[in-house]
This record gives sequence, C-alpha cells and structure tokens, in this order.
Amino acid sequence: MLARILRGPDSRIGLVTVPVAAVLAALVVGGVLMAVEGVAPLSAYGEVVLGVFGRTRGLIDTAVIATPLILLGLGIAVAYRARVFTIGAEGQYIAGALAGTAWVTLGPPLPGLLLLVSGLVVAVLTGAAWAGITAWMLARFGASVVITSLLLNYVAAAGLAWAVRVGIRDPGSFTPQSRPVGDAALPDIPGTTIHLGFFFALLAVPALAAVLRRTRFGFRADVLGANPEVLAVNEARPAWTRFAVLALAGSFAGLAGFVEVAGTTERMTPAFATGYGFTAIIVALLGRLRPLGVLVAALLLAGLTVGFDEAERVFIIPSTTVGVIQALIVVFFVAGDALSRRPGRRGRH
Amino acid sequence: MDTLFTLATLAAAIRLAIPVAVAALGELVSERAGVLNLGLEGTMLFGALAGYLATLSSGTPWIGLGGGLVAGAACGAVLALLMVVVRADQIVTGLAFTLFAVSATTYLFEQSYTIGQAPPRIPSLSMAPLVVIVLVVLAGVWFLLTRTTAGLVLSATGEAPEAVDALGYRIPQVRTLATVTGSALAGLAGAMLVCGPLGLFVQNVTAGRGWVALALVVFARWRPGRAVAGALLFGLCDAAQLRLQGTATAIPYEVFLALPYVVTLLALMVRARRSGTPAALAVPFVRGGT
Repeated sequence: MLARILRGPDSRIGLVTVPVAAVLAALVVGGVLMAVEGVAPLSAYGEVVLGVFGRTRGLIDTAVIATPLILLGLGIAVAYRARVFTIGAEGQYIAGALAGTAWVTLGPPLPGLLLLVSGLVVAVLTGAAWAGITAWMLARFGASVVITSLLLNYVAAAGLAWAVRVGIRDPGSFTPQSRPVGDAALPDIPGTTIHLGFFFALLAVPALAAVLRRTRFGFRADVLGANPEVLAVNEARPAWTRFAVLALAGSFAGLAGFVEVAGTTERMTPAFATGYGFTAIIVALLGRLRPLGVLVAALLLAGLTVGFDEAERVFIIPSTTVGVIQALIVVFFVAGDALSRRPGRRGRH
Repeated sequence: MDTLFTLATLAAAIRLAIPVAVAALGELVSERAGVLNLGLEGTMLFGALAGYLATLSSGTPWIGLGGGLVAGAACGAVLALLMVVVRADQIVTGLAFTLFAVSATTYLFEQSYTIGQAPPRIPSLSMAPLVVIVLVVLAGVWFLLTRTTAGLVLSATGEAPEAVDALGYRIPQVRTLATVTGSALAGLAGAMLVCGPLGLFVQNVTAGRGWVALALVVFARWRPGRAVAGALLFGLCDAAQLRLQGTATAIPYEVFLALPYVVTLLALMVRARRSGTPAALAVPFVRGGT
C-alpha cells in the first residue's frame, strides 16, 4: 500500500485525473482572483495561451525556463520515490552553479569544450556533495532530511551573497556579480535562446526512466520508499540507498545550476536564486515522480509563467498571480490525491 | 568581539528569539500528538500577514496578535483536515502548504496597499509584553503536557495511538485539536514577529524561522523549556549577525548570515540521535491498522 503513496494508484485514470483536476481547479480559482481584480478571466487566460503558443518567442522562453525545472524535478522525483523528502534542491542548485562558475572563471585556462565539460563535472560533484551533507547527517546523527536540507539552502544563499560580492566577483564590475562564463557558455540553437542544456534535460528524461526501471539502484530506491525493512532483509543497506538517492538529486540540481549559468544568465548575480528549487518540488509531485511526468509538469509550469508574463502586459494582473496558481496546484493535488485514495468503506462500515 | 556581548545584543537576541520560541512550542504540541506539521513556516507567514493587516485596520497591535492567533488556527484547521481527516502524507502536505503560503501571503500583501507606494508601517509592541506572552505560553504548554489529563492523552496519542483509541478517546479529534492549537501558536508567533519591534510585513518575512523552530523541537527532545532555551541560542546568533553586518571586520558578514542555520545544524548533530521522538510521529492512524 505504501508503494502507491505519492506515485498514484495503479489505474492509469487515477494517475492522470488527479493532477489534471488539480491544475484545472487552480486555474478556476486563479480566474476568480482575476475576476475580483476586475479582469475578465477568459480573455486573460486567452492571452496566457497566446503568450505561449501565439508566437515563437513564447515557446522558446518556455523551453528555457523549463530546462532547470526538468533537471531539478528529476532529481527530486528519485529522492521522493525513496521517501527521502529533501527540500534542499535550491541550495544544491546554488552550490553547484557557484562551484562551476568559480572553476570556469578562476580555474586554469582550458580550451572551450574542456572548460565547459569540466565546469559541468565540478557543478555536478558540488551539488552531490552539498546533498551529501544531508545524507551524512541522516546516517550519522539521524537528523531529519527535511530540516537539514532546508537549513543548508540558507547556508548556500549566504555563500552566493558572499561569492558574488567578494569571492568570484568580477573586479571590473560596479555591482556584485561574477565574471561571465566566457568560453564555457552553452551554445544556443541559432536564432533562439534555447541552449544545449534543454537537450541535456530532454535526454535525462529517458535516461533516468531507464535507470529507474532497469537497474538495481532504481529498484532499491523504490523498495526503500515502500519498505526500508525489506531492503535491509535483502542485505542492501537502506543508509547507502538513501545516500545514493540524495547524491543523485544533488547531482541533478548541481547540473541544473551550472546549465542555467552557462546557458542563460552567463554570469552569477545575487538574483541567481529564483526559487526554481522549490517550484521543482511541485514539478516532481505533479509529475507523479515519474520522469515523463516531470517533463510534462515542468513544461506546464514554465508555460504558465511565460504566458502570465505576457498576459500581464495586456491586463493589470498582480505579478504574483501565477505563483498563487502554481501553489494552489500542489495543494489541490495533495488533497485530491489523498481523497481519491481514501479507504472509503473499509474503515467504518 | 568584546563589544559583541553587551546588554543591547542580549536584548536583540531575546527579541529575535521570541517568535521562534512560540512557534517551536506550537509545533511541540502537535508533534507530541503525532502530527509532524511542516506547514509551520507557512502558518507563521499567514499569522504575520494577518497580524499586520489586523493592526493596520485597527491601529492596535494587540488586535494584530489576535489576528495572528485566529489565522494560525484557521491554517491548523486546513492542515488537520488534510493530514488527520483525509490522511494525506504529512510531509508532502506540510511542504505543499508552506509553498502555498509563500505565494499567497505575497499576493495578499500586494493587494493590501497601492502599488508604487511604500507599504504603511504599523504601531509596534514593545518587548516586555512579548516576553510575558512567551513565558505564559511556555507555562501553559508545560502545564498542559505535564499536569493535565488532556496533556497525558495528547502525549499518549503521539506514542501509542492504539492504546488511546482503546481507552475510548478519538484519535482524529485529539490530533485535530493539537494541530489547531499548535498552529494557532505558530500564527501568533508570526504576528509577534511583525507586531513587535519590526512593525512591517515584507515578503517572506519569517525567513526560515519556522524551519528553525521545527529543528529546535528535535533539538529540545520535545521538552518545552529546552525549546525556549534553543530559541534563545538561535536569537544570539542572529543578533551577532545583525550587529556585525555594519561593522568592517575581517570576517565577512555573510558568515553571520549563515551562522544561525549552521548552529541549528550543529545542534541537530548533538541532539538528533538521542531518544525522545514520539513513536507515532507522522504515522497516520487507521483503526485496526492498515
């Protein structure tokens, strides 16, 4: 029974119905909010859709915003499958990006491709190490993953503030920011801002699906989520599997961070931490902790962001509306999922 | 460093510790009943906003505190509905609620004043009454848990719900009551943050204090007095950070920005492994087992 918690009921219908219903319900509430504001919801939503599909730019922006969300969401999904509830993706994302940027801007002068690849490796390892602190604190002290991973986000945020002010600051810049990544920049599709990172993210989806379905690691992660004792009985130590899923989640977050710097922002500023690590939790849950679901959910949330951005130019909508709708999606999803799984007749009758 | 530990720093430490202490006491109540409320940070945010708005419209920070209490209880009712009645996963529910609260409070706050204008400040309470409130809450929680039958039932619900059920108490009711009470305190904590010397609501004003409070409950091994002591420790770090931020020292101020969180992490290392965790914490209760 526990195996089905979060990952949805066995039936294909329940699997998709609840997330879709949650999205629709959140959009309805969002519409009511806009109506209260004096904006006609249907025309606003029309503008949201047009903002994404009505112009090439909308689709490009959606892909760019979805890129870190997909990568972060995939990592979170694996951890949550094992019932390791990390909320440290934001910190791992910052730490990975910082280390990667430090390497490519201050490290040895390497030729372009080597610089990029080594930067990616540094970022992935740093992300994994940052998540590893959480794993270590759990294994050694039994400290709650939820709490330690979240506290580490604040530590990483302080690190970011220091790094762009002092540590990896561009000496020629007046405001605190790092040097541009230069040769380590990810190439864009000509004529667009979609960078190679989007294809990394797209490739990671089937790759992770294969790992989850076919490897011992994937199986152990799921068993750990279902019943850690079964894992222990089978002589696979739960602690190691927990460490592995956290390190994997950290790797994905570190990768997402570096890809965002090298592909989109090209340098780090204090504004680098935009909360993608938290939005990615919604992505992972809504995607039912499945790689393909994560892809769909990330594109959906990115599309909502882009579409609302466009709609705000036409209508007077508070810029935080899309955040409220995204947050409502996850609340409705959690409630709907629990309701749909509630043992109706078993309890009392 | 010798100027660090002055009376002013101590006063700042107490001021910063107040909301954390009250939130931790609230969380302690619900965790003793077996409900792990990760919506604490979100509840504090709602309490802070309610405290701000209630003070703004009434002109009286005391009404603001009441507003925080009521908003917190309302959050607790929603959380209990999801976690206790519907039996949604406690961890996922709490996370979802906090994510929701961050967006929702920002949205509601922006609705409360004209864009382009600075949000108005509210009259603030001095520290003395706030300290009294902390002491009253501490005494109340301690008395409830150690000197009353209700407290005994509450703690037993977190340890051995089957036994409490067999005695004829209804587990969902006990847990709902505990969650609502705990959340009301968290809402009050949020309002104390805003209606105290701060006198202002800003986006994400709690800045992770709810999470620190959650960590403190573990650190305190579910004992009220130790939770307040832990909050004071957090307050000291936070005060040191603020104090050193302006001064040009060899140590960058970001170190002190991270310090309260690092100290909390260190505290978890010292305490986490030791016993004291309610046995049925975060375990949904189903009569007759699953």
